[in-house]
Amino acid sequence: MLNFIVKRLFSGLVVLFFISLVTFIVLMWIPGDPALLSLGTDATPEKLAELRESMGLNLPWYEQYYQWLTGFLVGNLGNSYVFGEDVFTLLVQRLPVTISLAVLSMAIAIPIAIVIGVLSAIYKEQWIDYIARSVMQLGDAMPQFWLALVFLVFFSAGLGWFPVAGFTPVEEGFFASLHSILLPSIVLAIGQIGPLIRIIRSSMLSSLEQDYMLMTSVNGFTKFRSIGKYALRGAIIAPLTIIAMQLAGILGGAVLVESIFALPGLGRLLLMAVEQRDLILLQGIVIFVTGTVVVVNMVTDILYQIVNPMIRFGGSHE
Amino acid sequence: MMNRLLHLENLNVKDTHNHELVKGVSLDLYEHEFVGIVGESGSGKTLSVKAALHLLPNDLGVTFEDSEVLGKSIIDLSDHEKRRLIGSGIGFVPQNTVAFLHPMIKIKHQIGDAFIYHTKANKKEALQKAEELLVKVGIKEPKRVLHSYPVQLSGGMKQRVNIAMALMTDPKVIIADEPTTALDTVVQKQVMQLFNDLYTNDGVSILFISHDLKIVKRFCNRIYVMHEGKVVESGYTSEVFADPTHSYTKKLLRLIPSLKSGRTRRLG
Repeated sequence: MLNFIVKRLFSGLVVLFFISLVTFIVLMWIPGDPALLSLGTDATPEKLAELRESMGLNLPWYEQYYQWLTGFLVGNLGNSYVFGEDVFTLLVQRLPVTISLAVLSMAIAIPIAIVIGVLSAIYKEQWIDYIARSVMQLGDAMPQFWLALVFLVFFSAGLGWFPVAGFTPVEEGFFASLHSILLPSIVLAIGQIGPLIRIIRSSMLSSLEQDYMLMTSVNGFTKFRSIGKYALRGAIIAPLTIIAMQLAGILGGAVLVESIFALPGLGRLLLMAVEQRDLILLQGIVIFVTGTVVVVNMVTDILYQIVNPMIRFGGSHE
Repeated sequence: MMNRLLHLENLNVKDTHNHELVKGVSLDLYEHEFVGIVGESGSGKTLSVKAALHLLPNDLGVTFEDSEVLGKSIIDLSDHEKRRLIGSGIGFVPQNTVAFLHPMIKIKHQIGDAFIYHTKANKKEALQKAEELLVKVGIKEPKRVLHSYPVQLSGGMKQRVNIAMALMTDPKVIIADEPTTALDTVVQKQVMQLFNDLYTNDGVSILFISHDLKIVKRFCNRIYVMHEGKVVESGYTSEVFADPTHSYTKKLLRLIPSLKSGRTRRLG
């Protein structure tokens, strides 16, 4: 197990390196001048040159990258051009918002998807299944930015049930904080539910056809018991992957939803960094997001081993 | 008259395309009997037995005139009563080639389920009984097996666990569906001996599905020969083997390798 973790961490580091290199090169090629953006268009050429010099922008890209990389290796992500602050501090400030969003939206999506997915597998080709599949299509088809706007207009502006914008930190009360991110979380959850239902339904269907289900009939168990203990247990592996991917996706910044609801999370920070050509900040965010994906994937692989004895003991499925 | 433990009369099974899979099959199993059902793959052996236990999926068209389990007519029973009767009165030993044991649940968490469910016993009692039965079916380290996942057991071990599991509710009938397929000959012999002991010592009646005529000839006292969804011949094993009447049975019997032919050398 330890061997496995070390291997995964190493390959994760390689991925991080390449991603950081690619982001750096791509951003170098995009037109736009960070110095000009931070000083404004009426800045004198001398001032601009001075700033470029101090920001290290006149160095060739590989030297700039080298500087960034050596800083990163000693734990310094550099300073943001726009905010003038340490990138690490900026990330840590935004993180609670994004994590709360990710956790809450998954906490809404997972139980609903399990109930609908399992029911539609059990009652395959019956009305519950048809409704579930329609819900699934609907969730998939609705664009998130549109749904976010509709919800905002209807529930926040119209009914006044939720704040229109902003995030209340947990320090100001758990429920107040929950209330401030509930609506965006629901919007995010609706986007996640479709794929989740689909994977839960299909793995449940395949589990229901396994031979161990025949044994539960031979043993005379009720449907509830045989599904609750045997079918569900056989159907958890595939959804685990999707859940991990979705979680990593939201942690990587729910750009649209965070922007529309004016939540100060990673997604908005990312957007700002791109708009302002804040290379150092963007580089920091990308590294953080990639790192998160690597770690989430690793945790998923470890979970696989815990959940699935067939992987753990390396046997074959006869 | 001996007690009739299983009875199936004029069973017909059709698939969703209206093809007849089983045509007019009638089967009986009496107390103190070891009955074999032989026939090639696709002859309808397993389907008939599954129909007798009401295990066939609903999309198959199943019709029969009468079906009794342990002396009770199944037609009059509610779903709940059916489940109780079959679940506690009949043990099923499946083919070893597929995953009848849940691959993701430890043996100790599945072996006692039927026992607990039907007798209202607690987990401790179930585990104790499971341990005794595992020893009885020839497992030397029952504790280790109980704490294992199916994937950690060999084919022979898994099949012994299947048999022990079928015995948990002290059934009067054991139905075994090609239980020795995919086992090597030594283990095959041991497993058959086990069935024979259950039959002779514990008075369990056995309905044994197989395509292995040698095994059937040796252990079963009565047989049904099935071919293309029909029972083409039935009777006491010795009589059928001595004087087969149906051409298919005759053909089958000719396939049994005989010592006299001198062709018993191992291949490879």
